[in-house]
Amino acid sequence: MSRWRYFFRRLLLSIPVVFVGLTITFVLVRMGPVDPVAAIIGPEGGAANRVRIEQRLGLNEPLWRQYIDYIVGMLTLNLGQSWVIQPSTSVGELLTTYAPRTLWLGFWSILIAIFVGVPLGFYAGLNPNTGGDYLASFGGIVWRAMPNFWLAIIFLAVLRQSEKFFFGIDWNTIGVTVPGLIGQPPLNFIAVTDWVSLGALSIPIGFYFSPITLAASIKQILPPAVVLGSAAMGNEMRIGRTAVLETINSNYVETAKAKGLRNRAIVWKHVFRNALVPLVPIITNEAFILIGGSVIVEVIFGINGIGYLFFQASVQGDLPLVGSLMFVFIILIVSVNILQDFLYTVLDPRVGYE
Amino acid sequence: MSMNEFDDMRLRDRIAANPRPALFWLVGALVLIALELGRIADGVLRLGGAMGLMVDMVVTIPSSVRGAVASSFGTGAGIAAFVVTAFILLGIVAIIVKWLFIPWSLVDRLGIDVSTGREDILERLLVTGLLAIVAAALVWTPVGGLFEMLIGVLTRGVEAVGSLTTITSREIIPNQGYQLPDGSWEGTFLGLSPAWAWALRVLVVYAYALTWLAWLWKGYEIFREHYREADWTPRDDSINRLRTHYWGVFGFVVVFMFVVMALWAPAVSPVTAEKNLYSPYEHEIQYQGDDGVESITHGDANMNSRSRGGDQNVGLMSYDDYDRFHPFGTNADGKDLFTFLAYGAQVSLVIGLLATVLMAVIATVLALITAYYKGVADLLAIIASDSVIALPRLLLVLLLSVLFMQANHPIAEIYNGGLLLALIFAGTGWPLLWRSVRGPALQVSEQEWIDAAKSYGQSPTATMRKHMSPYIAGYMLIYASLSLGGVIIGVAALSFLGFGVQAPTPEWGRAVFEGKSFVSTSSWHVATLPGLLVVFLVTGFNALGDGIRDAIDPQSDSGDGSAAAATGGGG
Repeated sequence: MSRWRYFFRRLLLSIPVVFVGLTITFVLVRMGPVDPVAAIIGPEGGAANRVRIEQRLGLNEPLWRQYIDYIVGMLTLNLGQSWVIQPSTSVGELLTTYAPRTLWLGFWSILIAIFVGVPLGFYAGLNPNTGGDYLASFGGIVWRAMPNFWLAIIFLAVLRQSEKFFFGIDWNTIGVTVPGLIGQPPLNFIAVTDWVSLGALSIPIGFYFSPITLAASIKQILPPAVVLGSAAMGNEMRIGRTAVLETINSNYVETAKAKGLRNRAIVWKHVFRNALVPLVPIITNEAFILIGGSVIVEVIFGINGIGYLFFQASVQGDLPLVGSLMFVFIILIVSVNILQDFLYTVLDPRVGYE
Repeated sequence: MSMNEFDDMRLRDRIAANPRPALFWLVGALVLIALELGRIADGVLRLGGAMGLMVDMVVTIPSSVRGAVASSFGTGAGIAAFVVTAFILLGIVAIIVKWLFIPWSLVDRLGIDVSTGREDILERLLVTGLLAIVAAALVWTPVGGLFEMLIGVLTRGVEAVGSLTTITSREIIPNQGYQLPDGSWEGTFLGLSPAWAWALRVLVVYAYALTWLAWLWKGYEIFREHYREADWTPRDDSINRLRTHYWGVFGFVVVFMFVVMALWAPAVSPVTAEKNLYSPYEHEIQYQGDDGVESITHGDANMNSRSRGGDQNVGLMSYDDYDRFHPFGTNADGKDLFTFLAYGAQVSLVIGLLATVLMAVIATVLALITAYYKGVADLLAIIASDSVIALPRLLLVLLLSVLFMQANHPIAEIYNGGLLLALIFAGTGWPLLWRSVRGPALQVSEQEWIDAAKSYGQSPTATMRKHMSPYIAGYMLIYASLSLGGVIIGVAALSFLGFGVQAPTPEWGRAVFEGKSFVSTSSWHVATLPGLLVVFLVTGFNALGDGIRDAIDPQSDSGDGSAAAATGGGG
């Protein structure tokens, strides 16, 4: 099978995956043990109200009709609205408010994990069985085993008393001052102030940018991002170490050495590039972990992101919102999967020739 | 043992031929059992109770399906659905019964001649039919009443045995007493201080468990020396490699300590959960008050020994005002933290093991089937597993447990939501395990011996069981031990959010939640210690998994993405 045929096969497979994922969600939300209307009308809703809501949600129709309506609605991006948390707000509107915070959190947690985990792993792999290697490996294993919820609490406690632990450096006031450890990062550091329209096309020409707000925003997001990326950081370190060890003992590196290539060139050109391939699925896998794990971090650090929104929606019984959010997550994860396959196809010529 | 048709002698025959070493080992094992007979009977009783509840639940499935179908498609369809569901359930039970209890082939006995592929199916149909007759007899004839009576008698017998004292019981080594004004202790073991009495009991528990471990090892050696036909098998090398793999041994020690703590939770905790956690106002303790010996309920004593930061704190290794010793201090409600964590270990272990075993069974069966038949079966399994993976796991788990708990579904009652959690984690976790073993399973299915077995006319199930599953079992062990850590973290995370195991059943995640506001005060221990235990335990499971992998397959690379994904990110 050629590389691109392999890729297109995977692409084709993602269509039934989305369908089955949606079906599972439908079964949970509509046929599950909780009545979707109960939470919407509240304890003293009245029968008339109930009938009205059932009609609005289409719950009075037969099940197969509801199923088709749900699937068609989702696939045509008609995501519906929230009923309990913020009644009559459309899901799209909720997403534009909540998603940027989670994206900001996810961006930094991936970035920190990559820029700490991968170099540490490569360092350990280049110096195997030294004190530094043992320290990095053992640290990575323990770091990975820490549950996020516990790590978050310990982080909060330590940073709250940062004067005591870090020789009088107060976390809140060092660098930029942030209002507190808990709370959402200010995301208004960049905005468009001026638009110019060229026919139907609008092009932004005026920008507003505040480096201080940006710094505050980064500082605010740093502790939750480190916690969220902790497991991924450990994984990247571990895989990076093994990958470097494997490539460094391979024949082409021997050849390069025999050729008299400089050590530096060997490491950068032959070792690192090939060691990056096994890291691709680890980094893309992180996306899954971030989508799922962000709930806990967002709840503890008080960030109103989509994880928090999903948590609130399921706890308060806003099942229509839960169904729509789940669809968004499925699409996200499936696209990340496709991206991973694409990267593999481009990076690793061996794909498909198993 | 039915599968050893090519062996010259079965294990039973080999033991009969040379019974002395086996008897020697058996006598030792019986002595060990006798020492803890009461506790073992207790455990059997609780296991039986849980099984009974499960059976009750499963029995109601067909009628509930009938109700659901009948309400939308009419009575006739309802009855049809009832029959189909009952048949499917009986079929599942039949596979288990056939596998466990019927070592000979009914089809052969009856002299029916069919092709090998059909034989398996016919065999299972026969067993299903027999089971259906038994079930009908239990429901509609007086045999059912008789059966219930028999179970009642059995239960009472085991209960009587369960009340026997054991060497690790707190009646033999009591650690609850009060200090007289002259400094001596009343009511504790040999007048030792409660701290030492407690430490002694913990020591006895671990010594007993270690003896068992040594005796099991001895049993394995006896088996190897006297009863195994082969002088050497590859497994010997694996075990030797594991014994010298220090990282793996460390993992084993941690896991062993955890399991012993969970199994003997009533013995290693300074006070029983019944008295301290579940009904503290119905049990009293004696202590030395201002005017002589006074008594107070556990609940009232707890109220005055809470750990809430500042002056209100009972820290590590300290006594409270009522002469009670708290090795890990008390929690925010004044309950003994060590007791909480020991019983919590039990809950975590039960949920983790149940979920992992279920996951491993699903993943193994699926891997065997997809590797054997390939093609459409493989494609369907890929779509199903990818779809489950496409739903973010923690969110799915959260949603499921919220749905079932808010609806007060009967399944959420069992073990305070524990069974529900195990099922949820198993249902969402099998795709990761299946993905991990799919590669090895496909590899083994390409081997020539599988081809040979096929052309020899061996039935597919026999081929999978005899020639494929042993190869996968090792990999399964590795990934299962890795994912067990993930399940434990996941359960703790859910309980932390308030949707896992419900109060009053102790759980590590809830312990962290209860102490989270006091981390930066003098009562730091309440949230910190449970978290450290989780870190320690998960590291232990990972180390054990690494050790087993290096032992089974020393050539394998020690970094595997899917294994990492199985443990990471549980929350």
